Amino acid sequence: MSTIEEFSGYSPTWCPGCGDWGIGAALKKALVDLNYSPSNVLVVFGIGCSGNMNDFLNAYAIHSLHGRALPNAIGMKIAQHDKPVIAIVGDGDCYGEGGNHFMHACRGNHDITVIVHDNSVYGLTTGQVAPTAQKGFKSKSTPGGIIELPLNPLTLAVSQGATFISQGFAGRVPDLIELIKKAIQHRGFSLVNILQPCVTFNKVNTYEYYREKAYDLPQDWNTGNFEEAMKKCAEPTSIEKFPLGVIYQVEKPTFTDELPQLKEKTLFQRDRFTDLDSLLGEFE
Amino acid sequence: MQSLLWKIGGEAGFGIMTTGLDFAKIATRQGYQIAGYMEYPSLIRGGHNTYEIHISVDKLHSSKYHIDVLVCLNKETFDLYKKRLSPDSIVFYDKEMFEITDQNITALHLPLKETLKNENAPVFMMNTITIGASMAVFNWPLEVHHAMIEKTFGKKGEEVVSINKKMSQIGYDYVKQHYPDKSFPAFQARKTDDTNLVMTGNDAFSLGALIGDCRLYSAYPMTPTSTVLTRMAEYAEKVGIVVRHAEDEISVINTALGSAFAGVRSSVGTSGGGFALMTESLSFAGVAEIPVVIFLGQRPGPATGMPTWTEQGDLLFAVHAGHGEFPKIVLAPGNLEEMYSLTAEAFNLADRYQTPVIVISDKHVNESIWSTSKIALKLFSKSYEVDRGKIASEFSNLQSQISNYKRYQFASDGISPMLIPGLQGHFYQANSYEHIEDGHTTELSKSRVQQVNKRNKKEITYLKNHFKGPEIIGDINTSDVVFVSWGSNKGSILDAMQLLKEVGKTTSLIHFTHLFPLDEKAIQKVFKLKKRYILIENNSHGQFGRLLRQQTGIDIEEKLLKYDGRQIFREEIIDYLKIEM
Repeated sequence: MSTIEEFSGYSPTWCPGCGDWGIGAALKKALVDLNYSPSNVLVVFGIGCSGNMNDFLNAYAIHSLHGRALPNAIGMKIAQHDKPVIAIVGDGDCYGEGGNHFMHACRGNHDITVIVHDNSVYGLTTGQVAPTAQKGFKSKSTPGGIIELPLNPLTLAVSQGATFISQGFAGRVPDLIELIKKAIQHRGFSLVNILQPCVTFNKVNTYEYYREKAYDLPQDWNTGNFEEAMKKCAEPTSIEKFPLGVIYQVEKPTFTDELPQLKEKTLFQRDRFTDLDSLLGEFE
Repeated sequence: MQSLLWKIGGEAGFGIMTTGLDFAKIATRQGYQIAGYMEYPSLIRGGHNTYEIHISVDKLHSSKYHIDVLVCLNKETFDLYKKRLSPDSIVFYDKEMFEITDQNITALHLPLKETLKNENAPVFMMNTITIGASMAVFNWPLEVHHAMIEKTFGKKGEEVVSINKKMSQIGYDYVKQHYPDKSFPAFQARKTDDTNLVMTGNDAFSLGALIGDCRLYSAYPMTPTSTVLTRMAEYAEKVGIVVRHAEDEISVINTALGSAFAGVRSSVGTSGGGFALMTESLSFAGVAEIPVVIFLGQRPGPATGMPTWTEQGDLLFAVHAGHGEFPKIVLAPGNLEEMYSLTAEAFNLADRYQTPVIVISDKHVNESIWSTSKIALKLFSKSYEVDRGKIASEFSNLQSQISNYKRYQFASDGISPMLIPGLQGHFYQANSYEHIEDGHTTELSKSRVQQVNKRNKKEITYLKNHFKGPEIIGDINTSDVVFVSWGSNKGSILDAMQLLKEVGKTTSLIHFTHLFPLDEKAIQKVFKLKKRYILIENNSHGQFGRLLRQQTGIDIEEKLLKYDGRQIFREEIIDYLKIEM
C-alpha cells in the first residue's frame, strides 16, 4: 500500500483558499485508494497555477509547455500503455493554448485522464480572462467585459468522441476523490472538468456561486445515452447550471487497443526490429 | 563518363511517377546505376509532371543537361525540354496529339492514341507503350520490362499484367519495325553479385530510422517529407513501431517527447513551416533533456513558398531554432548512403547527448531517386549498434547511485544519467522550467548557472567525441579549385569533378555533414592552404558560408548560389568555371 506522504512533494504555493488545494489532495487520495505508487503512474503537468502541482506531487512526470500536456500524455501512453497517464492542466492551458490537442485527443480515445482546473481566469499571469469565462467577464485583458462566449468543454468533449466526461467541484473533495478514481479506472479518454474558484482573480465564479449553480446528477443518471449527455453538458451554456458527477461514459477501444503491434508487449518492452532484409524487396 | 538520360513528361495524374520509378528499376535490374528525379507542381491533376532517369555503368550522383530520350505524353513536354535536345536525341511522340516540324530533331512517332483505341485500353497505358519503345532504342531485353510489369501489377490480377505486357510489346515492335536503325550503342552493365536498390532519400531515412531502433514516428503531412510518414505507416504493424499522424506539428513533436520520456526512441518529420511550429518544443526538449530526432526536409520558403521544389534555405533557421540557449546537433546527409547512416547515427547522438538532433535535407534528396548497394546497406545495418549513452531502465546500467538518483545530476561531460520511468522506488520530473539537480523548479541564480553550464558542456563533449569534420574528396593540395558545400549539392559537384577531370582540370570538394556545432580548430586546419575556394549552396544567402564564418572565422568570398527552386546541375558548375568541355 502506498501513502499520501509518498505522493507529497514540496508544500504547495497556491493562494490560501484556492480550489487547487482540494484538487491536489483529492488526486493524491485517489491514487492511494487505487493502490498506485509514484513509481507506476505517469503524469504531465501543463503550465499555470494548476501545472505548478509539478513540485507538489511525486510521480514519473513531465512539466510541459503551456498547452502541450495532452500530446505529451499521448506519447507517454503509446510508449508505456501498461501505466495510467494523467494530465494536470488548466482551462486556459487545455482549452485555449492547447484547444486543438484537446479535440483530437478526444477523437483518438487515448487512454489518458485529463484533470482540468477550470477557474475562468489566467491566475499565474495575474488575472486575464480564460476561454471558459462567462460573456461580459471583466478582467485585465478585457476591461470592457469579454466579447466572446464561453467555451463549453463538456459538449466539445462529447461531440468529439471522449468516452468519459465528468465534472467536479473543488469545494467538494470527497466527491472529487471518487470522480478522479473513476476517471483513472476508465479505459479511454477521460475528462474531469473541475470547477475551481480562483479566490484572487475571479470575483464572479466563487465558492458561493458554484454552491448555488452546481448540482449533483441523480443517482440513477444514465451515463450511456449520447443525446441526453449532450443536453446535460449544454446546461452551463443554456441555463447556467453545472451538473456534477459522471455525465457520460461508454466503453470503446482505446487508441493503443487498436494497434495490433502493442497486443503482447508495450512499445518500450518490445524487441528491436532487425529483419531489414524483409523490407528491401520492393526497392529492387 | 558514358551515360544516357531518359525523360518522360505528361499531364499530372497519369502515372508518370510510377512509370519513372519502374524505368529506373528496369535499368538497375540489368546492373546499371541510376540517378533520377521528378518535377511536379503542387496539384493533383492538370499540372505537368516529369521524371528523368540518368543511367550509367558506374556510380552516378546526379542528372545531366542533355536528354538522350524524351518521351512526350503531351505537347508541353516537348516545348519545355526541346532546348535540352540535340540531333542525337530521340523524341517519342504521337502525331495525333501534336506535330514536330523541326528537322533537326529525331522525332519518332508512336501510335499511342490509336493503340489505346484499338485495344480499348485506359489512357495511362500509353506509358507502358513508351517504355516498350524505349527498351527497343536502348537495345534492352524486353523480358526485363515484362518482369517489372509482373511485379508492379501482379496484385491487380493476370488480366492487367497481360494487357500491360501486350502494350509493352506493341511499343517495342513498332520501333524495331519502323525505326530499326534508331538505337544507342549498347554499353554493358558490370557483372556483380550486388543488387542495386532504387529508393528516395525519404526511403533511406525510413530505413535508417528503423536501423536506429526508432519506435515512434509522428508527423503531419508536408512536402517533401510526407512519404516518410506514409512509408513508416505502411511498415508500422509489420516492424512493430507506432506512427501517429497528429493534428498539427506542435502535437507531433510533443507526442514524440512524451514517448521519448517514456523510454522509446522517437522521431518526427516535417518541412520549414511545420518545423517553425515545433520550435518552442525544441527548446523544451533542450532544457528537459529529452532525446528526439527531427527530420527537416527543406523546400523553398518563405511561408508556403514553392511546396514541391527544392532549396537549402532553412539551415540557419534550424541551427538557431528554439528560444533560449541549449545544445543541439544538426546533421546533413547529401545522398542515400549518408541519409541512412547519419539518420541511424542521429538516434545514437540524441540518446548520448539527451538533446534534439536535426537531420536536415532538401527536397532534392528527399524525393529524388538513386541506385544504392544492397550489400552496403545490409552491412551497415548489421554493424550498427544501438548506443543509448546514459539512458537506462535499471540502475545497473546507469552511472549513478541507486539511493540518490537525480535526473539532472552534475556531470563533467554535461550528461546526467536518464532513468526510463518505471523503476520501482523512484520517480522524477522532466522539467521545462529551470530546475535543480533532482528536477524541481528553481529560480535561484546559483542553480541556474550550474544547469546552464551542465547543458553547455554537452556541446564540448560532442565536439570532442562525436563531431566529424568534413569529407574531403579529391586532393586539395593539387586542386585548382576547391568546392565547399553540404547536402544534396554533393551529387552534382562529384559529377562535375569527374567531367572536369576528363578534361584535365583537377578539383576537390570539402563536403560537410556535421553542420552544427562546428569544431573551429579542426576546420581551420582543413582550410589552411591558399586556394580558390568556391562555396556552392542552394539558397540566396550563402547560409552555410555565414555559419562557417560565425563558428570558425573562415570566410569564403566566392560563391555559386542557386535559388530558383531547382537543384544545381553539374553543367552549371562547369559553366560557372567557364571551362569548355
